[in-house]
Amino acid sequence: MQANFRKNYYGYLFIAPFIIGFLIFGLYPVYDTVYLSFTDTTIMSPNSAQWVGLKNFERLFADDFFMRAVRNTWLIWLLNFIPQIGVALLVSVWFTSTRLKIKGVGVWRTLFYMPNLLMPASVAALFFALFSFYGPINQFMVKSGFLPEAMHYLQNTTVTRGLVVFIQWWMWFGQTVIIVMAGMTAISTSLYEAAMVDGASAWQMFSRITMPLLKPILIYIFVTSLVGGMQMFDIPYMLTDGRGSPAYSIMTNNILMYSKFSSSKGHIGAASSVGVLVFIMTTVIALGIFYFLRDRDSQ
Amino acid sequence: MLNPLNNYTLKTNFQRFFVYLFLVVILVISIIPIWLLLVNATRSTPEIQQGLAFFPSTHLMDNYRILRSKGLNLWLGFGNSTFISLATTVLTVYFSMLTAYGIAVYDFPGKKPFYNFIVVLVLLPLQLSIIGFYHYMSKLGLTDNYASLILPAIASAAGVFFAKQYLDSMIIKDLIDAGRIDGASEIGIFHKIMLPIAAPGAFTLGIFSFVASWNNFFNAFILITSLDKYTLPMMVKTLRGDVYRTEYGAIYLGLAITIIPIVIFYALFSRYIISGIAMGSVKE
Amino acid sequence: MLRKFYIVLSLVLIASFALAACGPTATEAPVAEETEAPVAEETEAPAVDAGPKVLNVWSFTNEIRTMAIAYEGKNPDVDVIYTMIPMTDGEYQTKVKAAVGTADAPDVVALEAAFVKEWVESDLLMDLNELLPYTEELQTYPAVVEVGTNDGVSKAFSYQATPGAYFYRRSIATECLGTDDPAEVQAMVADIDKFVETAAKIHDCGTGDYFAVGTAGAMFNPFLANRAQPWIVDDTLVFDPMVNEYVDFAKMMRENGYESQAGQWSEGWFAGMNDTLVDANGTPKKIFSYFLPTWGLPYVLIPNSTSDNTDTGGDWAMINGPLAYQWGGTWVGVLDTAPNAELAKDFVRFVALDEENLTNWATGVYTNDYLKAIDPETPDDQQQPSGDFVSSQVVVEKIASSFDDSDLAKWLGGQNSYTAFAKAAPSVNGKLMTGSDDAIQRALQSALEQYLNDEVTKEEMWPIWLDSVRNEFPDLVIPELPADFME
Repeated sequence: MQANFRKNYYGYLFIAPFIIGFLIFGLYPVYDTVYLSFTDTTIMSPNSAQWVGLKNFERLFADDFFMRAVRNTWLIWLLNFIPQIGVALLVSVWFTSTRLKIKGVGVWRTLFYMPNLLMPASVAALFFALFSFYGPINQFMVKSGFLPEAMHYLQNTTVTRGLVVFIQWWMWFGQTVIIVMAGMTAISTSLYEAAMVDGASAWQMFSRITMPLLKPILIYIFVTSLVGGMQMFDIPYMLTDGRGSPAYSIMTNNILMYSKFSSSKGHIGAASSVGVLVFIMTTVIALGIFYFLRDRDSQ
Repeated sequence: MLNPLNNYTLKTNFQRFFVYLFLVVILVISIIPIWLLLVNATRSTPEIQQGLAFFPSTHLMDNYRILRSKGLNLWLGFGNSTFISLATTVLTVYFSMLTAYGIAVYDFPGKKPFYNFIVVLVLLPLQLSIIGFYHYMSKLGLTDNYASLILPAIASAAGVFFAKQYLDSMIIKDLIDAGRIDGASEIGIFHKIMLPIAAPGAFTLGIFSFVASWNNFFNAFILITSLDKYTLPMMVKTLRGDVYRTEYGAIYLGLAITIIPIVIFYALFSRYIISGIAMGSVKE
Repeated sequence: MLRKFYIVLSLVLIASFALAACGPTATEAPVAEETEAPVAEETEAPAVDAGPKVLNVWSFTNEIRTMAIAYEGKNPDVDVIYTMIPMTDGEYQTKVKAAVGTADAPDVVALEAAFVKEWVESDLLMDLNELLPYTEELQTYPAVVEVGTNDGVSKAFSYQATPGAYFYRRSIATECLGTDDPAEVQAMVADIDKFVETAAKIHDCGTGDYFAVGTAGAMFNPFLANRAQPWIVDDTLVFDPMVNEYVDFAKMMRENGYESQAGQWSEGWFAGMNDTLVDANGTPKKIFSYFLPTWGLPYVLIPNSTSDNTDTGGDWAMINGPLAYQWGGTWVGVLDTAPNAELAKDFVRFVALDEENLTNWATGVYTNDYLKAIDPETPDDQQQPSGDFVSSQVVVEKIASSFDDSDLAKWLGGQNSYTAFAKAAPSVNGKLMTGSDDAIQRALQSALEQYLNDEVTKEEMWPIWLDSVRNEFPDLVIPELPADFME
């Protein structure tokens, strides 16, 4: 017993590399970002930085630019998340249905998931090529009579935003299907059998049994997707000119941050202030949802 | 009179038809962009300009020649990405397992809060501190250096979270005690007993960290400056730019080269990947 | 036991740090095709000590690599390490900035016209005034020197002068305008109003399948070159009337169908050069003319004038067009931190201010074989075609007549482009260039594109542009828009 107790202190040695790594590569950068956000540091003159207090933050709210990025990011995320979770629930119910007995569930699922593994940079470049003015989609649309003449898809704010939403949905719904299905198969079939005996309809079973028991999984999906969505960069960056064109319709938080980083003088102080605000916003919402909903659940 | 059972199966069949139809539609949507990419990689630029096609043509080698002739060395990026991804994967898997094992096996004071902290870390948008990370790395002289991309893998919260989930279902206290009686050191037990048993989980974790690192564009884009250190996603950006402009066949082929390895990889290991996703999330 | 493990672990950590850390010192290998090894530490290390003097050169195209190889030919003890980073969406600019002050910083940087001023105005470049005597000797065009100079200190020089020109298709001119004679066509496009009339003729004569120019943005540089003031004066943004005129002009071109909607550098824009432009229906379209400067001829127009089945060579002519302008150009400067300043300066001298090099550069001496003889690892497509217009009047006068019967002249239906550019070059001025042009103009073009496509109105377009400018230059004063910009 005594020996075991002493052995427990070995745990610290096992977790020590993680803690050291985290302090160096995780915590310090966060501290540095916060620090930079109160200075006017630029890449061009890294050593003449001045403490400017809240000026960077005041400038973010001085015009609509920053809020536009925040709104865009939320909009793009919500518009892809809702159909993503909707389609995933629907498909998962079918796949796990003992009545429908869908064949080849594993194969379907495997194929649906594949886009998730593709390099986002390549996916965006692919869609850029497909939707360019002299590109294949225009040829198809005009030759088959859907459009009277070729259009500049990536100059149209609605189409461009829609494409980003679509690509995000396309890349992520397969993963959501897998997670939701795993949650559904974990629900004991005896619950459904009992409900069937009581004459419950499919919808009743779904809303009274599946959904409540799936709640932790859904929260997990929601929160991880939100955190990822708030940091969206690759697809909107590579799809147009890297600054969220047309008309900043796909300028996300991270694109704004990067554009300040890559501006002519390289305003990394201002870029940090974007990072800090989005970090706070995302963290408060993500952890808030996580703990609020979890606590109620366990009561 | 209709037999209620018949009615039931009729309805089921009817429903089933629509379910399959819906699945096929989604499948087509999922696969068609990838298929078009692969087909266009084999078509010449004039062919591509003439319209859509769903079957490969014969210009694969021509496209490859054009791709190579413009000074962009995709294979260099391929090698760079492979090196970074492998190194990241090794560090992630080893240190995540190590940390998770420490949490799972030892009852040290502060273990609970530490694990909760890791769970919180998984949910934090830490990529948003990239500017500070960049600034700090440039002070250390580590920008344009793979170390800045690889070493953070030592502290992968998501990796620890996954490894902990996995080890919880694996660890047999008796084996550890038996090892101790045999005189093995604590770390020896981890290396010689636990790691071999946990190999499937480690492999799954490895796949995820490899793919994540392979596809990572943002961090490398900010941290790496010289062209001979460019990773594959960064080269895709070049491919999209002015250098290749009208050479559509070559562009598609270049894009295909960036994704084919992952598609093959997936064909081989999809079982691990899919069970891994489910495992990483389903608990509670 | 555990201690031993920790020793091993720390060794691994140190080793991985060291392995990764020795990366930059051994930065070798431009994107040479041959470089297969991704982690080239061990193999490349010898270059560092003893042996050759190493010079790190960064650029955004492969042009200067040709000169780098030629320089190695002249100085066998020098090893020039050449790095090319594409300029797409400002990637090159960001990368160079990010490298400044780090161990990976280059010695010599190439700077494009759009951002050279930003660097010349900063403290990051070395004072190169000691090279000024060479500019007198070579009679470098004053504008070229002026662009590279700030407060009396010259920090960058260029091997090019870049007056603009107007290139058109002779066959279309004969068909639609009744003549292909350069002097007569020049009279038809002598000013903006006449240009528009001619554009209408081209459009009508091709019944909509002929376009006067490839893109509504074709005259961006000509218009902006005729502003009265630079973009920024006293930290305040200037709304020059020319900007507004340009916007209206571009919109008019789009609405009347005088341009093919193929943006500059897009695939359709290039396709027009070799007559392979087709619309989404498969109908062939033709582009009558292109606004391009000196370098546009050897680097853009000629290489793109052939396709698998078409060749428009010989069907082109060159005139001044409606507005005098200049466009682009590459300057080279030395970073203040360069450890081997003398070598770097000598390299700049060679690139921009060496009579023999400039002559070789312009007359096609630097063939692939020539370069391969110096460095066998030269990529197969690395070479310098003849015809680039150089910055030295002495060289220009000496070689201009040699182009009378050249392939270049044949390509232009017998015209000697060099003589024509030589006439235009002295009128070029660099006074309008500021360090902020690049960002301001990119943002304007992006907003204008929206307006052209009817995605936004003109009133909505200006704020889109100005938001972007404000985001880029937080300290810039942006005054109210003049009332006539809203009309």
